[in-house]
Amino acid sequence: MTPAERPLSPHLQIYKPQLTSVLSIAHRGTGLALGVGAIFFVWWLSGAAWSDACFRAAQAFWGSWLGKLFLLGWTFSLFYHLLNGVRHLLWDIGFGFDLPTTYRTGWTVVAVSVLLTLFAFGGGLYAWGSP
Amino acid sequence: MNGATAIRHWRAQRVSAVALILLALWLVESLLAHLGADRAQIQTWLGQPVPAALAAALVAVAFFHLALGVRVVLEDYVHTPARLAAALAANRVACWALALIALAAVATLAFGL
Ligand code: HEM
Repeated sequence: MTPAERPLSPHLQIYKPQLTSVLSIAHRGTGLALGVGAIFFVWWLSGAAWSDACFRAAQAFWGSWLGKLFLLGWTFSLFYHLLNGVRHLLWDIGFGFDLPTTYRTGWTVVAVSVLLTLFAFGGGLYAWGSP
Repeated sequence: MNGATAIRHWRAQRVSAVALILLALWLVESLLAHLGADRAQIQTWLGQPVPAALAAALVAVAFFHLALGVRVVLEDYVHTPARLAAALAANRVACWALALIALAAVATLAFGL
């Protein structure tokens, strides 16, 4: 294979993890997780549009513990990817790219996405249990 | 990707991201409001014009953003040109297909077909 002529992304196996690199790879991971979630969403939506059996299967899946675990993962992925996405957009317009600010906004994104996840998921479970 | 394509890609990824901020928050709020809803309740909800329009925008923009994002991931990790070309083509086809199915479903619900 000819060597690539453009910079390669860091080799994750030999790159020492730091907050910055972990958050960056997490943006990628959550983006891909949301992509899988989008496929499940289409499954559910198709059921609502066209098929009782399909819709009931999807609803039953969300109700199972595995389904709830997936929902928890997607809830966190969405909040994290959204907030970190805003951080990306701010960098793009030139805000917050110095190292101290990067660390500060990075920890903020982690903390706020955990809080929003607990809030939305906990509230959801509560509402689900007592309709 | 040549320079012009790369810039267009970069801009499209960001414009779709900005749109998704609001659309995704709307989705979370809506799904929480419809927990445990049966099929008839979902049909009533997406039978209204505003929720149907927002749902259509959400799925269209989300799969567009996903296709762009997965493309970057593939370009980073797949280094054999033939395999990369195949993977990029599969990504495009899959995202288009999912978006069209989702839009057809929203249209069915919106127009009560
Ligand atoms: C909720 C609002 C969202 C915002 C603000 C947002 C923002 C962003 C931004 C700014 C990027 C580019 C990152 C970079 O330059 O490296 C990106 C990448 C990506 N997004 Fe989103 N996004 C959102 C929702 C979604 C959704 C719903 C999905 C899945 C359907 C998704 C999947 C991806 C993927 C796969 C990538 C590529 C990751 C990479 O290149 O490492 N995003 N997002």
